[in-house]
Amino acid sequence: MTAESRAAPRIVAAPVRVAAIGALIAPNLRRLRPVILPVATAAAVLAVWQVIVATLHIPAVILPTPVEIGGELVRGLPVLLHHAVPTTLDSLMAFSLATVLGVGLAIAITYSPLLRDTFYPNLVVFQLVPKIALAPLFVVWLGIGSGSRIVFATFVSFFPIVIAAAVGFANTEASTLRLCRSLTASEWQSFVMVRFPFALPAIFSGMKIAMTMAVIGVIIGEFISAKAGLGFYVLYASSRMETAVIFAALFVLCVIGLALFGAVALAEELVRRSYGRR
Amino acid sequence: MSATALERYLEVAEVSKIYRNGTADAVEAVSSVSFSVPRGQFVAILGPSGCGKSTLLMMVGGLEEVTAGRITVNGTSMTGPRTSIGVMFQDSTLLPWKSAVDNVLFPIRVLKRPLDGYRDMARQLLERVGLDDFARKKPHELSGGMRQRVAICRALVYDPELLLMDEPFSALDAITRDEMNELLLDLWQQYTKTALFVTHSIREAVFLADRVLVMTRRPSTIAEDLTIPFARPRPMAIGESREFNEICGHLRERIEANHYRRAAPIMPRRELVA
Repeated sequence: MTAESRAAPRIVAAPVRVAAIGALIAPNLRRLRPVILPVATAAAVLAVWQVIVATLHIPAVILPTPVEIGGELVRGLPVLLHHAVPTTLDSLMAFSLATVLGVGLAIAITYSPLLRDTFYPNLVVFQLVPKIALAPLFVVWLGIGSGSRIVFATFVSFFPIVIAAAVGFANTEASTLRLCRSLTASEWQSFVMVRFPFALPAIFSGMKIAMTMAVIGVIIGEFISAKAGLGFYVLYASSRMETAVIFAALFVLCVIGLALFGAVALAEELVRRSYGRR
Repeated sequence: MSATALERYLEVAEVSKIYRNGTADAVEAVSSVSFSVPRGQFVAILGPSGCGKSTLLMMVGGLEEVTAGRITVNGTSMTGPRTSIGVMFQDSTLLPWKSAVDNVLFPIRVLKRPLDGYRDMARQLLERVGLDDFARKKPHELSGGMRQRVAICRALVYDPELLLMDEPFSALDAITRDEMNELLLDLWQQYTKTALFVTHSIREAVFLADRVLVMTRRPSTIAEDLTIPFARPRPMAIGESREFNEICGHLRERIEANHYRRAAPIMPRRELVA
């Protein structure tokens, strides 16, 4: 419509047609911009990477080209997937445990001033400790099985959830809780009908961080001790100087991380919608 | 029911509220207030901010404990919130994830009454306040005035006998506020309840109420109990009349006389819920 109004009758036919096509494409382009821009940027980086490595003759052991990595990805896919399974399962397990324990402790902290005063300051301080450095301790305590990796990853991903959920529960509008009290609502009713839904966005943002932390925790655990898993495989490939394999494994790890993060985001969307429709 | 219970549906007797911060500094938010309200009367509590009128209202609603004195509603002493009392707050306190009609039905869910029996009532109320086309909208899609209208419907839907309103329209602009006052009077005419309405707007108090109690700061007590002579229904134009403005002028004098008598420090505002 803008193109037509801009095209005065005096102007010749051709520019009008170009403008019309532009008007057709432009809105679609603008809508796809959030997709096109990052994809184009990533593609450009890969292209530059490819050209630099090829022209400077950088050895594949130092930095393989994206094409070589792609080839390795296709060739080694069955092995990569074999190693992806324990990493994914352990991460999911740790994340689930962290969510249940984290939200549970947050609820306890919310309703018991004694527990809050006892635990909350310690939690906040502990959040600042570089917990990754404690990984070897878990091997000492729990051995080299997947249990030790799951517990370590749970430990690492637990803190963002407790803190986010505790903040979410605490930030529930005081006036809405007062409304519940005026209606003689029980603590349980106030929690289910008001506090929990109010805290959901905070809980989910904690869960998104926790999901990423759980994967990191599992990988660290696999670096230290494992017989399978992508972390183990990266270490194994590095000891054999198979740099392209490392990159292929990292690529699979990225896909897994994205998928798990996406699953949490999807769950959030579904839960929020179910609350909205109720 | 005895005649005295009818005459004194709500009775506030020598009620005080003292907030203690440790032992040294205690703040007396309400000091020895007494009044009684017969069933069906609309009473406005008028006073400057920080005079303890909201605290008094919350004590009547059983949401705050009294430090001294006694509050009796319908013959029984207040010990906690009651379902026969509805409360409206300064902000609409709607649940943001629920539609207007579901927000209206929220008390029914809390009280575990059968929802189906109240859907029609909720619809009617929303229609009554002109929101029938907005029943499915979420609070963020509604204007401030619309949200307070939903809150009025929510306070009325479970049919409480006593309606407590804590400056419900103070966050609205002047024009919307006038509209809401007219609407409230209209609704009140239809669903006559005993009402306690806290405000710091003199005109609002005179326009709405059968009776205005003036509350002062330091001591936080009732300085005047004035009956408003206007018959109902009251048209908006009543605000232009000389008598209306004379009453307002008188009330203003009463408030200011107490206000400036002593330079009282402003009482810190406290959240009423721990």
